[in-house]
Amino acid sequence: MIKKFVRKRSIHLCVVNTGGCNGCDVEIVSCLAPRYDIEQYGIYVHNNPREADILVISGPTTLPWIDRVKELYEKVPEPKIVVAVGACALSGGIFKEGHVLGGIEKIIPVDVKIPGCPPRPSEIIEGILKSVHLLAEKEKRLKK
Amino acid sequence: MTTVPIGPIHPIFKEPLRIKLVLDGERPIDAEIEMGYVHRGIEKIMEGKHVHKGLYLAERVCGICSYVQSFTFIECVEKISKIEIPEKAKYLRILTCELERIHSHLLIIAMYCLSIEHETLGMWILNSRERIMDLLEMITGNRINTGYNILGGVRKDIDKEMITKIYNVLDKFEDEIKTIREAFETAPLVKLRSRDIGILKYFDIMKTRAVGPVARASGLENSDVRLRYKYYKELKTYKPVSRKEGDNFARNIVRFDEIEICIKMIREVLELYQEVGGPIREKCEIKGGEGENRFEAHRGELTYKMELTNHGFIKRIMIRTPTTMNLAAYRYMLKTCPTVADAVATYVSIDPCISCTEKTLYIVEDGKIKYIW
Ligand code: SF4
Repeated sequence: MIKKFVRKRSIHLCVVNTGGCNGCDVEIVSCLAPRYDIEQYGIYVHNNPREADILVISGPTTLPWIDRVKELYEKVPEPKIVVAVGACALSGGIFKEGHVLGGIEKIIPVDVKIPGCPPRPSEIIEGILKSVHLLAEKEKRLKK
Repeated sequence: MTTVPIGPIHPIFKEPLRIKLVLDGERPIDAEIEMGYVHRGIEKIMEGKHVHKGLYLAERVCGICSYVQSFTFIECVEKISKIEIPEKAKYLRILTCELERIHSHLLIIAMYCLSIEHETLGMWILNSRERIMDLLEMITGNRINTGYNILGGVRKDIDKEMITKIYNVLDKFEDEIKTIREAFETAPLVKLRSRDIGILKYFDIMKTRAVGPVARASGLENSDVRLRYKYYKELKTYKPVSRKEGDNFARNIVRFDEIEICIKMIREVLELYQEVGGPIREKCEIKGGEGENRFEAHRGELTYKMELTNHGFIKRIMIRTPTTMNLAAYRYMLKTCPTVADAVATYVSIDPCISCTEKTLYIVEDGKIKYIW
């Protein structure tokens, strides 16, 4: 019971830039600003994969990141959610022809997708808040 | 001797990068920087594309200074093809560029405050940065990666309402930034963590070719390329700022000073804008050739060098961004960092932008890739 309540109010984020242009990361930083204030929903940005619940990924996955993203994904404890932010993380975006893998979905499962180049902070917050419900559902499934 | 790896994921870094600090006790004595996490080969993607497509790619070299990148790119093309843009477009370009400079400087000062654990001030700065983001959105239509420039001018004009709004917001913003600056200058925590830490001496600039606010904080006033840029020569309010100390504190104060001058410049540009009339965009034709263009980005000197074909396709492009030189200066700053935490704060204070920097592939002898820079 307590755990269920806490799951809704205490979510830890780990933001990983897998080689994007920073645009998405800057908008994620803007979410911290008092105007959008992501912490009012009980979401904290810690950037520590070992205590994270949600992995936020932005960027087209450059070649050195391919192995590391897999490692990172395994480090995050269950239940976990992956949120892909921006066109780059969804499909490779504008960098599709470069030295990139293109689309994080090719290596790890993605639960929530936020399109845009870059998406607005309000859209990012909306996307993350929607994924919080998934987290509770995933935990239920795990118990069974 | 121990080595401490920091990164590639770290609470303070916006971008992935690994610094290996060599420690003697708690004192960092040397640093090795491992890059390559953001190498996408953007110059290679641009080759063979039309200028109109290249413009969008240039914008995405870096998200924080996206407008300056597209500004320098398009001015380079216009220089090669000898296109004169209309007066109105010229002022609109300066206006957007200086607004973006304010937002970029505020962002990095906020990140610096977060890195020295002064969270209140950091949040405060992030909040007043939103005012500038609103203005940018109003003028260009997007917060970041605006797509505002186009060959021969800009996409959108501003009207009377917008001008009054810009004046109003700037007035409020000026008051805010004064209080914030006072808080930054007088806070004991900031003084403890940033004075006399990470000093870059004037003579070390020669060795490392540091540029931008990093060089200006160490006394090299002439490093501002805007001094020699055609648009800025006619502005009366523009003058470069510099300080002598060269420590973390001075670097941030130089940024505060620049913000103040930017505000004055925006007011002057708006006045000049209201005096001129005419279109915001002109019909033009791209001619082949090669050329280069330099401009002062928010982090220092930015150079675009390119060769075009007659129909406007990019044959070869070279982008030189400021962070490459500033990262070289980082090793000299380490000498005056007493702890690991200070080394991280110093790293943030040079305003690194890794996604700008990683473009060329360097292969070192026996077939092994050592640096991707
Ligand atoms: S989606 Fe757009 S803004 Fe985001 S990292 Fe990619 S290019 Fe940059």
